[in-house]
Amino acid sequence: MLLADEFFLIAWDTAGSGTPLLHVQATSLGLAGALLAELVLYERVTVHGARVEVTDPSPVQDPLAYSVLKLMATTPEHADVRTWLAYLAQNTVDAVANRLVQTRLVVREESRSLLMRKGVRYIATDYAKCAWPSARVETLLTNGRPMAPADMALVAITDATGLLESILSDPQGRRNARRYLGTVMATIPGSLRDLAGHVHAAVGDAVLSYRS
Amino acid sequence: MTAAPAGVRSGADAISSALAADRLGIPDVIYFVMSAAAPLTVVAGVVTTAYAVTGITGLPVAFIAVGAVLALFSVGYVTMARHMVNAGAFYAYVARGLGRPAGVAAAWVALVAYNALQVGLYGALGAAALPLLDQWLGVHPAWWIVALVAWALVGILGMMRVEVNGTILAVLLTTEIAVILLFDAADLIHPAGGTVALDALSPSALSSSGVGALLVIAVLGFVGFESSVVFSEESRDPRRTVPIATFLSVAIIAALYAVSSWAMTVVTGPDKIVDTARKDGAETIFNLAHAHLGGTVVDIARVLFVTSVFAAMISFHNTTARYIFALGRERVLPPVFGRTGVRTGAPKAGSVSQTVLGLVVIVLYAVLGLDPLVQLFFYGGTLGGFGVLLLIAATSIAVLVFFARNQTGENAWRRVIAPALATICLLAIVYLAVDNFATLLGVKPSSPLRWLLPGSYLVAIAVGLMWALVLRGANADVYRRIGLGAKASSSQTVPAVAPPSRGTHSRTATTARRGRRH
Repeated sequence: MLLADEFFLIAWDTAGSGTPLLHVQATSLGLAGALLAELVLYERVTVHGARVEVTDPSPVQDPLAYSVLKLMATTPEHADVRTWLAYLAQNTVDAVANRLVQTRLVVREESRSLLMRKGVRYIATDYAKCAWPSARVETLLTNGRPMAPADMALVAITDATGLLESILSDPQGRRNARRYLGTVMATIPGSLRDLAGHVHAAVGDAVLSYRS
Repeated sequence: MTAAPAGVRSGADAISSALAADRLGIPDVIYFVMSAAAPLTVVAGVVTTAYAVTGITGLPVAFIAVGAVLALFSVGYVTMARHMVNAGAFYAYVARGLGRPAGVAAAWVALVAYNALQVGLYGALGAAALPLLDQWLGVHPAWWIVALVAWALVGILGMMRVEVNGTILAVLLTTEIAVILLFDAADLIHPAGGTVALDALSPSALSSSGVGALLVIAVLGFVGFESSVVFSEESRDPRRTVPIATFLSVAIIAALYAVSSWAMTVVTGPDKIVDTARKDGAETIFNLAHAHLGGTVVDIARVLFVTSVFAAMISFHNTTARYIFALGRERVLPPVFGRTGVRTGAPKAGSVSQTVLGLVVIVLYAVLGLDPLVQLFFYGGTLGGFGVLLLIAATSIAVLVFFARNQTGENAWRRVIAPALATICLLAIVYLAVDNFATLLGVKPSSPLRWLLPGSYLVAIAVGLMWALVLRGANADVYRRIGLGAKASSSQTVPAVAPPSRGTHSRTATTARRGRRH
């Protein structure tokens, strides 16, 4: 499953209420980071410090990832990771949710509450598959299993958005997980680590500049 | 962020357009800054209590003087802000200009100051709400009951990450200012003895004894003006919007409070304002206005006083919680403070700790039977105001040192002249403030409070310095990121300016509000 899709399934209670588990700013930024990470994993872009660069503009299989890649390739003047996170975050929730809906893994339900506000819920069609990303992250971390770069990216972004605490339910497991997370962050490829750092900073800045 | 500058936009630049959609203009930024000012709280609460406690009438000219000094300070401040990764908090500037230990010390000073300001408001709410409760419901609860109700509300809203809605704040602010201006007009049209007395505006007040007290009180009115730089990433044309908005905010605040505090002396006569304020306390301006404007206007004003205090309480609570959050992100405070609530994104630990502090103080004051208006609100406010004064002075020095050490291409007025003038004035004000602290508190010069309260900042500075040195020894990586705020987690480097050489190769930015309310 694609990285951003997995993050969505972690951040959204599709197997339960269909509502988000994480506040929307962090979810959007996490998904934006995940989309960029997908491109890193496809070896199309690299992240160095504060800058992101397209190294290979050739097409990738997923249409959403490719549309992001095309946009990045045609606007090389915007090389700042934070700019891309901010821009992508404006639409990621809907875009990635659509991707999941098209795989038929979730269905979208719109509800009209008494207050006339349109509520959107995403309900899982296959509970096991939708709960798998969270379960996998928890198992990998608490048992110290070796991880592929994609898994490392998922773990890093989940931690960067503050969601990791709620996935790790068992206190003893949490201690092991935190310790192993340190190891993961030391061995994760540089692009992905910098990316996760920027997501963490962006989420923090969103807290600091929150306005209603 | 390196989005394309506002004037240059190609048709294909969807990114800049998309990000520019919500950009703020000068009026928006001024509104955000002023919404932290809570003008009616200052005019009805601070100014009247200041007259009563200090017994001096030079407050109007003090507002003008402090406004001028802060305008001078702002020149260097907004210029340095352009080179800052974490522009919103004074301690970041101190860290960048004077080194990380000084920065951490400044962070601790800020923690004490902002908490003092927030907690002090619980004392004002009683004075604001009790007359209304008496008038409408005929009940006379103790001040601390009102305070505890407000405390609970603020705590819950803080945990839910509820801010007072921007539109509501704008409406409140506009109405407050309208009411204040109405009161001022009524006062000035009906001067005591028929002639408008300019005594309170006389500059000779600046050379009288006790002027230090007035200057600290005046600084209190300007708290929050520094938050304009927080909006530079979100404003349409940061190089123009932020400086202009900052100067206009300072000017508006100075004018509003100077005129209001002066108008009070005109309607009573300058020789009688102190006695009136001592007799009526926070009721002063309402009683004065009642004679000329009638009951309805005054009732509206009283309600606005309550909402003003309450909104300021929420605002300062959120500021302090966010401050604690930013410090937690940088590990200046334990990392647990840097976490957010998962569902709300609220800076939970920061919010809770601030709430607990509020409870402790309210209970303490209630149990000891201390006076809420003078000893909680006024003392808390002036303690906080003095702390902010220290921060501004330290930042001013940091600005000077920063520009002295770094090639920035800014002109001499912004780099040297204005900051130097501002620093001299600010240091003079600090000296006068410490010298006149007894007058500020309205206590005898021999009273221990006169040293204890300002001395608490010495303790904060000492704690900060020690903590920084501990961090430097224990965790060099964390130490290097001090001053970056939330960006401490990324490897964001500062664009044009080379870090002052410390002999280490550091790829992270060299160190440097509140995050303010927004």
